[in-house]
Amino acid sequence: MNNFTKLTERIFNESKKSGINDVEIFYSQGRDLTIKVFEGEVDGYKLAEAEGLGLRGKFNKKMGYSYTEKVDETSIDFLVKSLIENAKNIDSKDREEIFEGAEKYRNINNFNQSLEKVEEIEKINFAKNLEKAALQFDDRIKSIQECVYGDGYSETIISNSKGLYIEDKSNLSYTYISVVAKEDEDIQSGFAYKVTNDFSEMNYKEIAKEAVEEAISMLGAKSIKSGKYPVILRNNAAADILEAFSSVFSAERVQKNLSLLKGKLSKKIASEKISLIDNPFMENGYASSGFDGEGVPTKHKEMIRDGILKTYLYNIKAALKDNVESTGNANRSSYKSSIGISPTNMYIKPGKSSLDELMKNINEGVIITDVQGLHSGLNPISGDFSLSAQGFFIRKGRKEQPINQITISGNFIELLQNVEEVGEDLRFGLPSNSYIGSPSLKIKHLDIAGE
Amino acid sequence: MINKNIIENTITAALSTGGDFAEVFIEDKKGIGINMISGDTENIMSGRDFGIGIRIFKGYNSVYAYTNKSDEKTLIETAKKAAKAVIGENLNKDIVLNNIKYENNHIIKISPSEISAKKKIEAMKRAYISAKEFDELISQVTVNYQDYNQKIAVANSEGLYVEDERTRGRIAIGAVANKDGEMQSGGSAPGAHKGFELIEDLDIEWHGREAARIAKTMVNADYSPSGKMPVIIHNGFGGVIFHEACGHGLEATSVAKGNSVFADKINQKVASELVTAVDDGTMTNEWGSSNIDDEGNKTQKNILIEKGILKGYMVDKLNGRRMDMKATGSSRRQSYKYSPTSRMTNTYIDNGSSKFDEIIKKTEKGLFAKYMGGGSVNPATGEFNFAVMEGYLVENGEIKKPVRGATLIGKGIDILNKIDMIGDNLSFGQGMCGSSSGSVPANVGQPTIRVSEITVGGRD
Repeated sequence: MNNFTKLTERIFNESKKSGINDVEIFYSQGRDLTIKVFEGEVDGYKLAEAEGLGLRGKFNKKMGYSYTEKVDETSIDFLVKSLIENAKNIDSKDREEIFEGAEKYRNINNFNQSLEKVEEIEKINFAKNLEKAALQFDDRIKSIQECVYGDGYSETIISNSKGLYIEDKSNLSYTYISVVAKEDEDIQSGFAYKVTNDFSEMNYKEIAKEAVEEAISMLGAKSIKSGKYPVILRNNAAADILEAFSSVFSAERVQKNLSLLKGKLSKKIASEKISLIDNPFMENGYASSGFDGEGVPTKHKEMIRDGILKTYLYNIKAALKDNVESTGNANRSSYKSSIGISPTNMYIKPGKSSLDELMKNINEGVIITDVQGLHSGLNPISGDFSLSAQGFFIRKGRKEQPINQITISGNFIELLQNVEEVGEDLRFGLPSNSYIGSPSLKIKHLDIAGE
Repeated sequence: MINKNIIENTITAALSTGGDFAEVFIEDKKGIGINMISGDTENIMSGRDFGIGIRIFKGYNSVYAYTNKSDEKTLIETAKKAAKAVIGENLNKDIVLNNIKYENNHIIKISPSEISAKKKIEAMKRAYISAKEFDELISQVTVNYQDYNQKIAVANSEGLYVEDERTRGRIAIGAVANKDGEMQSGGSAPGAHKGFELIEDLDIEWHGREAARIAKTMVNADYSPSGKMPVIIHNGFGGVIFHEACGHGLEATSVAKGNSVFADKINQKVASELVTAVDDGTMTNEWGSSNIDDEGNKTQKNILIEKGILKGYMVDKLNGRRMDMKATGSSRRQSYKYSPTSRMTNTYIDNGSSKFDEIIKKTEKGLFAKYMGGGSVNPATGEFNFAVMEGYLVENGEIKKPVRGATLIGKGIDILNKIDMIGDNLSFGQGMCGSSSGSVPANVGQPTIRVSEITVGGRD
């Protein structure tokens, strides 16, 4: 730490001497472990220790950025000179400020000491057991595509010349398995994962069962006739779609005419059953934090209340432009990235219906359990999506045969407006910068393409 | 890049617990990224990526570790930590590195690091203006520019020491058309393994207008119909269909463990006899090319499918052991943070003999996909999906009205067998391909092809 303080001071001094007014360091370091198991052996093992330092600062009122992974004194010249050259070339008239820090931050603990004490052999055995359990569960499981356990620790420091100094540390473990089921010529795959920073919550039997059941349940799947159908988007599929559209809530994208929510503030954009929450303080929320990527204290907010859009998400730059306060949603995903905007733990507020109750009144419809192609078949600018999907046919309120080789198509806003009922089963996707969840949603209808 | 003695000692430490092969990968990469919205630069980021990856094999199993620090003490510690995961007897190999030099097949004329940001921005502004002024429906234009120079060295316990340098650049133009509050987008994003001559030789205005033209066409388009129909996929980036539907299934990564539908099918018919498909990492200055791959093998031209018969896979060293096959110069990684594995480079379906006009004329009713978006595949089932960025209905042998929002889905082998016409106009498009060893630049390519039947996911 001592060396780091020294390096910080030298960077601050060098910046000041070169005419940079306000300057900020974003430093992160961490370690990662990944264990891959195949046929009872550890066939892939990865161990990483890495760090990086990002610099940003104001030169002639413009913000410049630079970064390095060679974190030592030899990089100072490169960092400072690049920052100045880059700042000189910024045209944007938007004001960008470095934050001086707040008096109070909510204390969030994302670090679980007990995870650091788990012996490596326990992790290896966990992954081996997971693979074994999946293979033993059903003899139609012919192979395991991937069986992985991983964990990591990371530490982030934001320190600036206006007096802000904050640090955060977190750790996390995850596991996933992808299984292949085969019956005659029919091949189906199933996937399951778990993310936690409490190793004791890792239950290999549960995870194996989920992946196997998904693959087995899809055996015999067929396409269906194209047409409009009432659809239930199961929690995981709804969360995936919500995540892929999450950039529409960014105030910066609204300001730049890149969001379909422009001009929609205080208007009804969704069914009155929909309330959308961004909660940075959520317990076990993997995007929980007391401060955002600019050091601004985070806030709990209802983004949609009973279908009405209440707020966009802001960082300092977008807030200055709209003359409002930052909502604490500045995102700096790493020292390599500039400041963006993203949700924290964002989810659709669950309702009271079980999955069976959601299906009850559907005479002929579809429950979608998985969607693919979120990064190509979905356009956050137009709101249109057409996604490869699988699931089950619903007849007279009951789940029937598996279906695949279909697409579901629609528009994000239409989808939100056509939500008839919201399930009780809130579930979150894999954490990234944001942690996004949804309960299962009953949609009046979506276009399905098949036969 | 690092003293050879230090590398030799690191390899020796990596083998200390019984590994039968060890490799050191050194990367030093400098680059710049510039974002422009509405003709104004918003963010400019310059950076340096630097790190060392150490890989150890024992039989079919592998261990990987990386660090940013290049001093001998850290490297040997990292190698020893990684070696702990290997259980065996030290084979006491003597490590002597021999410097191998390959001819540079990808000459860089103008090093981007010697060009000022200002000059790069001027080019971006030209792209902006040509897109913005294309039509009054164009409401927004974004331009992103990046270039980098990546220096790498690969050394391994077989005595190999080889260096390579990759300089790449890309400009991505995105246009949004707005009509009565409804928005649609279009884009064009050329890139190459070239220096700033890429930009100087490029018809930037054409790419700007093309992005705008697609957005305008799509905002005026109706939704695509749904169902099974013949689909004509245009040349260039249309090659993404082969990349997704088949290419990933031909990577040793999924073949070695029997997880691909193409496993154990060498010399069998897997496609229509019209189809010859190639992965060629040697193509001069192309986006997916390099002199060597990321485990130090010279890149090569690999015939994957010849006249419908499966001829080969893309193989890396580790999976090659399991498959008992030689590496094919296909081992790639995003950076030192990834263990390399078999990946595509420049992948294409080779020219056929049909003329473009003839393909359209012979199609009574179907979809013409002029530009494709991206896609993805599940290699276990072969099920793929990808998006059509600009589509048209074909009726009675003529291209008719534009349609939006189409997605194509299907299974790789089905599609390969249903290709019933191949044009003579092979061209390429650039993409970033994401997989287990990270995101790597990859060219996709093909002439115009017709598939007799694909499921089209639209809204009518």
